[in-house]
Amino acid sequence: MTKYFLVAYFFLISAATYSQEKIILSGFVKDAGSGESLIGALIQQEGTNNATSSNSYGFFSLTLTNPNAKVSFSFIGYETQVQDLKLTKNSRITVELKAKSNEIDEVVITGNQKNGNVTSPQMGRVNFTMEEIANVPVVFGEKDILKTIQLLPGVASGGEGTSNFYVRGGGSDQNLILLDEATVYNAAHLLGFFSTFNSDAIKDVTLYKGGIPAQYGGRISSVLDISMLDGNNKEFGVEGGLGLIASRLKVEGPIVKDKSSFMLSGRRTYADLFLKLSNDEKVNSSKLYFYDLNAKANYKFNDRNTLYVSGYFGKDDLSYSDLFSFDWGNATATARWNHIVNDKLFSNTSLIYSDFSYNVNVNSDDTDFTIASKIRNFNFKEDFAYYATPVSTFRFGLNVLHQKISPASIDSGDDSNVNSISVDSRQGLEAAAYISHDWKPLPRLGVIYGLRLTNFSVLGPGTFYQFDQDGEVRDQNNYGSEIVKNYLYLEPRLSLSYQISDQSSVKTSFNRIVQNLHQLTNTTSSLPTDQYVVSSENIKPQIADQVAIGYFRNFANNTYEFSMEAYYKSMHNQIDFRNGADLQANAYLEGELLYGIGRSYGLEWYFKKQRGRLTGWLSYTLAKSERQFDQINEGEWFNARQDRTHDISLVGIYDLSKKWTLGATFVYNTGNAVTFPSGKYVVDGRTTYYYTERNGYRMPDYHRLDLSATYDRKLKNKKFSSSWTFGVYNAYFRKNAYIIDFRESEDNPNVTEAYKVALFGIIPSVTWNFRF
Amino acid sequence: MNLQRLYIFLIALVIFTSCEDIIEIDLNTANPKVVIEGDISNISSAQTIRVSRTVAFTATINSEPIDNASVQVRDQSGRNYVFSYVGNGNYQNNNFMPTANNTYNLTVAIDDELFEASSRMYDYVDIDSIGLVEENLFGTDYYFINLKFTDPINQANYYKYNLSVNGKPFQFSTVFNDKFNDGLNVTHQITNANNDLALGDSVIIRRQIIDQNVYKYWSDLQSINPGSAAPANPKSNISNGALGYFSVSSAKEFGLTIFGL
Repeated sequence: MTKYFLVAYFFLISAATYSQEKIILSGFVKDAGSGESLIGALIQQEGTNNATSSNSYGFFSLTLTNPNAKVSFSFIGYETQVQDLKLTKNSRITVELKAKSNEIDEVVITGNQKNGNVTSPQMGRVNFTMEEIANVPVVFGEKDILKTIQLLPGVASGGEGTSNFYVRGGGSDQNLILLDEATVYNAAHLLGFFSTFNSDAIKDVTLYKGGIPAQYGGRISSVLDISMLDGNNKEFGVEGGLGLIASRLKVEGPIVKDKSSFMLSGRRTYADLFLKLSNDEKVNSSKLYFYDLNAKANYKFNDRNTLYVSGYFGKDDLSYSDLFSFDWGNATATARWNHIVNDKLFSNTSLIYSDFSYNVNVNSDDTDFTIASKIRNFNFKEDFAYYATPVSTFRFGLNVLHQKISPASIDSGDDSNVNSISVDSRQGLEAAAYISHDWKPLPRLGVIYGLRLTNFSVLGPGTFYQFDQDGEVRDQNNYGSEIVKNYLYLEPRLSLSYQISDQSSVKTSFNRIVQNLHQLTNTTSSLPTDQYVVSSENIKPQIADQVAIGYFRNFANNTYEFSMEAYYKSMHNQIDFRNGADLQANAYLEGELLYGIGRSYGLEWYFKKQRGRLTGWLSYTLAKSERQFDQINEGEWFNARQDRTHDISLVGIYDLSKKWTLGATFVYNTGNAVTFPSGKYVVDGRTTYYYTERNGYRMPDYHRLDLSATYDRKLKNKKFSSSWTFGVYNAYFRKNAYIIDFRESEDNPNVTEAYKVALFGIIPSVTWNFRF
Repeated sequence: MNLQRLYIFLIALVIFTSCEDIIEIDLNTANPKVVIEGDISNISSAQTIRVSRTVAFTATINSEPIDNASVQVRDQSGRNYVFSYVGNGNYQNNNFMPTANNTYNLTVAIDDELFEASSRMYDYVDIDSIGLVEENLFGTDYYFINLKFTDPINQANYYKYNLSVNGKPFQFSTVFNDKFNDGLNVTHQITNANNDLALGDSVIIRRQIIDQNVYKYWSDLQSINPGSAAPANPKSNISNGALGYFSVSSAKEFGLTIFGL
């Protein structure tokens, strides 16, 4: 396979050297104030359809049809710049765009960049910058990208206040979450109420829920690609915030002006400080907090070479006196080298590490032990973008990912009344190669087609078991450091668009994706202690095939965006558990698993107002998601837990005055599918429930209104600025059911009653943000 | 040892304004299913097996007795114990003292339906001491009964505890295995199902050595909590789709009164 890539590579390089008649303009688009690269800026030769957009490092390459061209550079929220170029040879430039001053009655500059959603063949994608979501109200007043994406069509919330999400009926472990290309295994803090992404450190977020391009692989439902800020390379800046739950501080600035910069951002919660107020010695010595650290630095060696280094480290710490402690966290590190091979060929080489681990310590009278678990990966990526002609771009690359899972092992003290148990670690090597061609064969027709080849090798050493129908061990084999099993898959990807007019288009897409890492969750919320497994002889790779069609239409000079997408996704080798499965420190874990299939389909409507004093969107999803396992529900199809028939989100942001901005969010969705009893009986004096159909019932409908108001205080001619954000979560005090459970009535134990627990009442919040 | 339960318990820490309401839910009523509850032990020679049917969730009784079953237990040497109906779904035999290291087979016939189960009785594992502990968790006092003993090494052992508080009927408390402490000095910490033992309560603890299938049944049942992704009926050791279990165990009872520490 690599051979073909080398051939393709040399072909492309030689093609580049032979096409010199036309002038190629390449370079970077950046923010004039901070030097941050701008992702997705539009670069267009005036008066023509000849255009391109900047990649995730701000790089672009455009072949001009005329050396005396006027070229415009535009980006949402920035003033468009037009450069009158008289070029005699291929040239590289850096264009710095100025952010628009934040005046509400400004004249809106119209341009083609506003209808990218119509013209691009890509569908099922949503992109936003942190400014766009700054005024969306959220619980506890902490802006949070994972909670904001839950307001998009096709994305369902994992539950009250949680950062977990489901995309198009897929599971929560089927989302690939990338932070500067590094996999983030567990994106939740503090039982899911916060995501691991500190919005201060984030530049750009892109979510793919369908038509996923060939450069991505490894999770079957979605890709959430998050980029961290590079850091201001012009001047030092400090930014921060004080909230009721957490405080944040960010420092950024140049290391060498215009050449090199850094960004350092931290966040910590202080709920545990309230514990200190307790008189109870055990309580006031307890811990309950999390923190995050994001760091990034870059160095521009010359016009053609830039190095980026970034990392994330976060930890949750929970302990009760010195009897019990539990901590968990992610760490990521990414080193990237951007190299411009020539005016048309851009390359990026990445070395990536990430891990997730948790530790439990129990230390009471005669029970002392430690449980430790870790998953980590090393990842090498080589990506190329070849800007062949204005209507044709090739992307290709290689990716080698080594993953190791060390499942929870118990390590106990000498005289502890618990034995030490260790479970074999598991390793897998995933090698992938891809090629993708973004092509406009006709002015109105666009296509992105690609192919990804993935080979997953289950690696020894270790003891591998075979199981019979009932999950009992049938056979076992010991392997040394060798390949136990190989899975080779070809993943075709296709997106096609036909532009009906300037303002409307129809699109269709297909993708096949394979997933080799699986998270085993048998509770309604995913926990840090959920076990990860890689594909093995027993566990086959999960596969999803998704087709989608869509209609995209903009109105009133792209002020309004409308889209409608329909999708059908079929999923193979899905995982569930036998009843009462033992998932803890179990060497025979794979015997507890059941395998089945899934299907989900739906219709998504999205209506967005982009500009004006009132902005926001309305999204509506009508969907179905089902699973089928031979050993569950008598082999009949049943609703997936996250199956929600209706899911509506309404987001509105209103600029009341230069100082005040108001925000409101309303959500409504059908309750989750749940299993409730259909009868009762008694054993050993206890009322026990009789269950029939899996997920045959529904939680009550969920709805909620959140409000926010932001007061911006800008002092003239002062660098210091600050703002206050006031929020109310669950404004009309809806008691949404978090849990429904059943119990014997206190008056008469023979009578059984159902009760619900609502998690949140009205939660007010206030946050003070500053920057200088 | 159950981390998930501990974790769910800790959720309580961060719930600021949670509230609880009784609600009406429209639940289907499934066709009634046969329930067999056979808990035979060597505490006495009077044994009871209860046979009943499930009832609708909204019913004001918690089960419907079956009075026309034929109930028998046979030991491995072929001796047969016939149980006769005494009312409220209970079938009794007053002259049946099971002995360890025997396998017992149950047959229950109802009309033309036959239900069968078998259970192995193991030797009793003596305890070294029994004591009371008081723990203060987040400002509330909780009482637990600690039983200390040495787990027999190199064999899987399963323990079940039922509790009777202030003379009320015995109720299931908890089951344990020795997966994490085979052969060690083990402490089992027991409380009642509602975790509300109070000062002055008079408690009888029944400790039973059960077989693997019975353990599995109770372990399934005790692992169902409101956070379970998909609660299901525990896996019964009785054939033909009956609910419930059949257990023959070595058992002992201990009485104590909760006193201030």
